[in-house]
Amino acid sequence: MKNRLRVLRAERGWSQADLAQRLEVSRQSVNAIETGKFDPSLPLAFKLAHLFNSTIEAIFSDEP
Amino acid sequence: MNCATNNPAAKRFLRRIVITILLYALSLVLAVGVFLRFHPTGVLAWLLAILPAISITGLLAIFGLYLAEEKDEFQRSIGVQSMLWGIGGTLAVTNIWGFLESFVHITHLNPVLDSAIFWIFVGISLPVLLARYR
Repeated sequence: MKNRLRVLRAERGWSQADLAQRLEVSRQSVNAIETGKFDPSLPLAFKLAHLFNSTIEAIFSDEP
Repeated sequence: MNCATNNPAAKRFLRRIVITILLYALSLVLAVGVFLRFHPTGVLAWLLAILPAISITGLLAIFGLYLAEEKDEFQRSIGVQSMLWGIGGTLAVTNIWGFLESFVHITHLNPVLDSAIFWIFVGISLPVLLARYR
């Protein structure tokens, strides 16, 4: 699943570690989600959406 | 599972593992010592014989507890995957060994070693799985 996490993170000047701290997950988790190797659960996707003041579908897309 | 971070679940897991391994060593020394000196029989012999196994079985419960307590879903999935590698690896090794025992008559593999094989596979697969996401 594709996502805009890297762009959204860069816009705020956050490192992967910064985002991980805000989400209360490990940096590896952020990296795995960002690179599309791990799809987050619905609660974590909502947490990301709230954090970026956005919606899940604006962050994630099911395009190959 | 990332024990290098300030992950409370991983820290608790490590602390419990260390305590359980110490209990295992103590129970093993106790069982061997009592069997060598006093040659117990009956219920006492049975209880002493399974004493070290309780700690080893406890390691599985501790891993299960970690999976239940881990809030980071990615780390939890890595833990589950490593356990699957442990189960699969142990079944593969013991299956191959069993057939070799039957047909080629190699040395008998003591089932006590199954746990060691399982944890070796878990220990090897954990860093390999994590490396995929670095």
